[in-house]
Amino acid sequence: MTSLALVLLAIGAAGFLFRLLRGPSLSDRVVGLDGLQSIVVIAIIVAAARADSGITIETVLVAVLVGFVGTTALSRFIERRGN
Amino acid sequence: MSALSDVLIVAGAALAMIGGIGAVRFRDLYSRMHAAAKAPTLGLVLVAIGAAIAIDTLLAYTTLLLVVILQLLSSPVGAHALSRASRRQTPVALDGPDHLTRDEAAATSRDHSAMSEPPE
Repeated sequence: MTSLALVLLAIGAAGFLFRLLRGPSLSDRVVGLDGLQSIVVIAIIVAAARADSGITIETVLVAVLVGFVGTTALSRFIERRGN
Repeated sequence: MSALSDVLIVAGAALAMIGGIGAVRFRDLYSRMHAAAKAPTLGLVLVAIGAAIAIDTLLAYTTLLLVVILQLLSSPVGAHALSRASRRQTPVALDGPDHLTRDEAAATSRDHSAMSEPPE
């Protein structure tokens, strides 16, 4: 069943990647990047459940924190620079 | 117990996929943020519960609980910062009166009478 979950995550990642590559504005690209980070976090958790070991779970913490700092820093950048 | 974790993981992955589809198909920035900020967060919560049931160690329980709390705290903050930053750059069709522009204009012109008029 985790294979089905990974396929669904791949479809969602394709959607966010489309928005990252051709969002009209920089904010759309940030939306795509943020969603892609969420997909990566979910995929790491699904892979850990698939392997039935919690040894890769700590990397998820780092990914969540890096994603939040990245989104916030890009927001400040957009606010200062524009578009 | 394994069937429950499978259902939760597939449901969470489906929610993340719905967020990706919404990020492609919605028409302006704020609609896309509506899809892309909320749906994967709930998907992450469901997948974390399912994976914690499947792995069933104390390390997995505590770490996934921390991940869920961090994501629930950071995702709205990031989305709010992004929407606040891009409000000036991206024009959007409002379906109501633009209170924010009125308040900002009143604040910059130091005309406090405009701030105290009732909302229409």
